[in-house]
This record gives sequence, C-alpha cells and structure tokens, in this order.
Amino acid sequence: MKRKILLILILSMFFLSGCWDMVEINQRLFVSSIGIDLNKESGMNKYIVTYVYPNISAIGKNASEKTKKFVVSTPCSSVFQAGKEFSTKVEFPFYYKHLKVLVIGEDLAKEDKLLRQAIDGLNRDTKINKKVQVLVAEGKAKDILMEKPTTERVTDGTIYNILKDNKSASRFTPQTLTEVIKDSDFCCVTLAPRIMKKDKEFQISGGAILKNYKFIGWIGEKENRALALMRNKVKIELIDIPYKDTIISYTVTNADSNKEVLIDDEINVDLNVQLEGYLQEYIIEEGNSVYNQKVLKDMEKAIEKGVKKEIEDTIDLLQNKYNADLIGVGEHLSKFNSKEWHKIKKDWVNIFPDVKFNVTVDAKIRRTGLTK
Amino acid sequence: MKRNKISNIQIKALIITSIVGVGVLSLPSDVALILDNDGWIAIVLSGLITIPFIVMIDRIFKMYPNKNFFQIGREVLSPILFDLFLIIISVYVILLLAYTTRTFAEVIKAYLLETTPTEIIIITMLFAVSYIARGKLEDIARMALIIYPIIIGFIIFLLVINLPNMDYTHIYPIFDIKFKAMPKATIAALFSYIGYEFIILALPYVEDNKQTLSYSLRGMFFIIGIYLIIFFITLSQYGIDQLKREIWPSIAVIKEVDLPGYFLENLDGIIMAAWVMVVFGTLGPFLYSSGLILSNLLKTKTHSFFIPYLLPIIYIIGLLPENMVQADEILGNMVNYFAIVSIMAIPAIIFIVGYIKKRRQKV
Repeated sequence: MKRKILLILILSMFFLSGCWDMVEINQRLFVSSIGIDLNKESGMNKYIVTYVYPNISAIGKNASEKTKKFVVSTPCSSVFQAGKEFSTKVEFPFYYKHLKVLVIGEDLAKEDKLLRQAIDGLNRDTKINKKVQVLVAEGKAKDILMEKPTTERVTDGTIYNILKDNKSASRFTPQTLTEVIKDSDFCCVTLAPRIMKKDKEFQISGGAILKNYKFIGWIGEKENRALALMRNKVKIELIDIPYKDTIISYTVTNADSNKEVLIDDEINVDLNVQLEGYLQEYIIEEGNSVYNQKVLKDMEKAIEKGVKKEIEDTIDLLQNKYNADLIGVGEHLSKFNSKEWHKIKKDWVNIFPDVKFNVTVDAKIRRTGLTK
Repeated sequence: MKRNKISNIQIKALIITSIVGVGVLSLPSDVALILDNDGWIAIVLSGLITIPFIVMIDRIFKMYPNKNFFQIGREVLSPILFDLFLIIISVYVILLLAYTTRTFAEVIKAYLLETTPTEIIIITMLFAVSYIARGKLEDIARMALIIYPIIIGFIIFLLVINLPNMDYTHIYPIFDIKFKAMPKATIAALFSYIGYEFIILALPYVEDNKQTLSYSLRGMFFIIGIYLIIFFITLSQYGIDQLKREIWPSIAVIKEVDLPGYFLENLDGIIMAAWVMVVFGTLGPFLYSSGLILSNLLKTKTHSFFIPYLLPIIYIIGLLPENMVQADEILGNMVNYFAIVSIMAIPAIIFIVGYIKKRRQKV
C-alpha cells in the first residue's frame, strides 16, 4: 500500500508540474509599439495595424543578429485581430504586456468612431499596461514606425525614451492612454503629442487636439509650451525673449499656475502663472552688467510680457479656431464649482469661446549664472 | 489538545480577514456609480450600520454566558423556528461561497490564468479551502492571524506605489451629496461588509471576553479605513468617469502605476498573489461555518463531515450563471438579500427576544 502511494506521488511529479505548456522567453514576441492607420478600402478591414517587436537575439552583449526590431503591418478589423493575422507570417505568438507606445495615424484620428473602438479595445484588455504612451502621427503611423533612427541604442525604445526623458523641455507633453480617456471624459478634449517624419528621422513636437476622439488640428511647440505652463506640466524649459535689441535666454526651473474661475453674467478666469529661474544668456558687451536690481526687474518685465503674449495667443487660438477647452477650465469648474458646472455642462461648447481670460505672469530671475 | 480557545487579537484578525474578500475589488466603482465622488460617505455609513449588530451579538453572549450560539438560539426561540433560521443562514452562506468562488475565478482568469478553465480554478481553490475548514475554530483563527498582515501589506503596497502619480484634485467635488441615492449606495456597499457575523460562532471561544467588543469594533474601523483608502486611491488615479467604467478598479489601478525607470511594471501578478490569500481568508471561515451550522441542524458530532459534500453544491451554484454579468446581477443580489436577513435580522431577533425573556425572568 505504502509503495503504491509512493509510486503515485512520484508519478504525479511528472504530470502535476506546471511547466508542460511553458513558453520560453525567446519564443515570445513582445509587441512594444502599435501603429494604427485608416484603411481606405471598403469592407471589414477598417484599420491598418502595425506591430513593432524587438529582436530578442539582438539584445545583450553576445548578440547573434543585427536587426534590432521587426515591423509587421496588415489591414485588419481590430488591433488584436492584427495579431491573429500576423500569426500566418511570424513563428511565435504575440504578448502585449510590454506595449509602450501607441501611434495613431492622422487619417484614423479623423474618424472618431473608429478611434473610439480602438481606444476601447486597448482600455478593455487585461494584459495591456494602461500607461501606454499615445501619439498622433502626422501622415501615416506605419511610415514612422518603419523608420530606423540613426542614434538607436536600446532596441526600439526610441520613441518611448524620447517621451520618458521629457524633463528638459516642454515641446510636447506626453500623454498616456488613461489620461486621454480621463481628459475626454471631463471636457471632451485632449492633447496627444505629435510625431512626424523629418528627412529620414522622426521627431516629436507639438501636439494634436482630439475633440470627442476626433482630430481637429495641430498645435505647434510654442502653443504647447504655453499650454504646459497653464496646465502645470512644465518641469524645465528655456524661454527666449527679445529684450531691448538682443535676445535673452531664460531658464525656467520652477513653474506654477493657478486658476480661479468666477461666474457672474459671464465666466471670468484668472490665470496666474508663476515662473522661477535663472538667466542663461545675454550679450557680452562692455558696461553691460546684469548684476543690477533695475536691469533684472526690466528683464523680468520683458519675460512676463513675452510669456503673457504667448499664453494669450494660445488661448485665442483655442477659443476661436478650435473651440477646445484644453486649459482645463471645465475640469476646474466640475471639481470646485460643481453646482454651476451641472447647469452649463451641456452648453459648454458654446460658452467656452466667450470665457474671459485674465492672464497674469509673474517671472522671477533668481540667479544670473557665473558672470555679472 | 482540548484547548480550542482564541484570543482577542485573533478575533480582530478573523473579522478583518473574513470581511475583506472579493467585495473590495468592485466596491469603489459600485459606490461611485450611484453616488459619484461622494461614494466614501456610503462606505462610512454602511460600515457604521454594522456596528450596532456587532454590539448586539456581543450582548447576546453576555446575557447567556458559557453557551454557544446554537444553544442560545434553541433556548430563546422555539427549536423549530431556530432550525428555520439556521436553514436560511446556511443557504446564505452557501450562496455567498458560490458567488465568492465564481468572482475569484473570473478575476484570476482575467489577470493571471487566461487559458485555465474556470472549473479548475474553482475546484483547486475549494479543495485548498476545505482543508482549513475541516479544522477547528482555533486553526482558522491562527490562519486569520497569518493573513491579517498580508492584508495590511497589500494596502500599504497599493498606497505607496500609487502615491507618486496620483492627482488629488480628482476627489473634488467632495460634498456634492445626492441624498436620494444614499440608501441604495449604502446597501450596495453593505456587501463589502458581510462577514462580520462570523464572530457569532467565534465569540464563545474567546478567552477574555471583556475586551472582545472593543477588539471587534477596532477591526471594523480598520476595515472602514482600508475601504476609504482604496476608494480614494482609485478615484484619484482614474477620475470619476473612468472609475465608473472599471469592473475591478482596486486591482486594475495597479496598471496605472508608473514608477521611474523600467524596473517596476506589470505589478498585477504580485497583487494577485496577495489577493489569493485574502480570498482564502474569506472562504475558510465561511466554509467552516456552513459545516458547523449543518452539523447542528442535523445533530452530528463533527462539522468536518459535511464539508466534502458541500463542495460540489458550491461548485455547481458557482458555475450556474452564464457570465460575469449574470453572476453579479442574480447571484450577487440574492446574496445581498439573504445577507440582510441572516446577518442583521436574525441576530437582532435573537437579541430582542432574549432580552425580553431575561427581563421577565427578573420580574
């Protein structure tokens, strides 16, 4: 009896161990970027989906292969359907757990229904990390993902790394999948960074405005910076401002913005932006010292004026051209004055262009660098 | 080995482990769906509602010292009525077990074991639970004391990794209360608090029963705290509209974590591993109590005899709903209604009748 039990126990080792259907790591294809484009042909296959996955054999010190990444593309009816379509071409199954970048083609972004479907699919999936970076491509997402950047170090991390290291400038504001959905919930608009092809490389700059998941226009780097200042998303930024007959460079080390919304007959927004930083560059001339309270105050005024104009221009653009509340006034109202917000929520599209903005900028030059 | 006594700390651990289970996963979105940003009020309210019942249960045992729940029930009510009550309670416990295992299997399937059949997940879990449920009360109390730090660790971990990128302004507007929806939300939140009735079986075995009430109440407040923390974490990570969209926000929120560097990603595996223990801590006491109630009903000597026979029943009921939505709508609601009867009405009736009888005896 005891022997029989022992035999059963030993045999069970073979059948109960959990490794019988294991998949080795080099037999998995980790999709790192997905690009979605619009397929203009009629039929079920409304998307052209592009997957990028790293070549595992090309990673590490003893890399056996040179190709760093593979790009595959197919027309299909949904993002995940593409994975099944590819299974006829590639040898291993796809894994989505390490998906980092989602590039949306310009044409697709103009079709709000299709974009909503794609976003819902990604948001619903249990495997995908919801911190996926969302970008909108000028042109086709496929072309951008096909591109091989010259300064490539990490296999296929380039777009992700550019987005991640966005500490040095606010030429674009990274946007994750959840943030896109969250922003769209609050006041229907969101901003996703723009990625575009330049010569043989790609470049991330500015942003695309998505209103109700529909692309309505681009904004440039300057507008993006102004927006980032208004939405408290600036970490470090360099601002060039004309001063007298030269240009001074001012490094912002700390930016803080406050909104206050007053509702009378019309809606007044007091927007207060506070900047703190140091002087980066002036001009080397005799007798031209900045180590002087008066000069610094003068410079601060110039900076304030310049930044204020930038912000006001951006607000004007948003109110009159795009009618998109990217500044977050609606969000602010919904949080801090929800009673009024419930009254005007439905009509917000018509109200927003008439909102009065009162921008004040308060710039401080704390240091002047090493020289006087 | 005839000790079978438990301490007050174990009572606190028992309350916490048997209450925190599958309810916590969907609680934030359940209350947010009804009350928006003020869901936390419903969480606090329904937590406070349970407190009088805990006090009542404690009083019952003070009035009739050295007797267990079944002896008291038979003495206070007529034996036939009490047997009827026991049947209701045992149906409730079995339904609850079925619902919990089903939800557990669905969550595990969604996050960890995609291709494993639901049946296998349920069977393995039930077998593991039946081992602890066949033991004595003391064993279960010890298990609770082991799982209790895991729950604390779970919450602290969730809090710490979410703190860096939370947007606190999402919790506003904070006092925009919809009074009309409050009762509905409170009842919805109540599901997350069922499980405290386990003390009805555990209290007679406590060594020092003077302090028991305060320990149980402390456990209850601890749970209200846990639920509030989880509600505010999920709300500030998701914003109200996205929170309403999530089915299990408390686990899904882990996918929102974005710590600097590549090294910490896809933490759902870690959280799920901890959560399996938490569910084990919920199922164990319930399966034990269902066995105990049946053994009292049918007057057998041991409760462990019934547990193997209960497993197929739980398994079948758990697999009856066609999908997750049906499980929530039908099974979940049935559990809710049975819970109100068996964990609120029945202890209250026993307490009131017992109280009146005692007063008459004095007069």
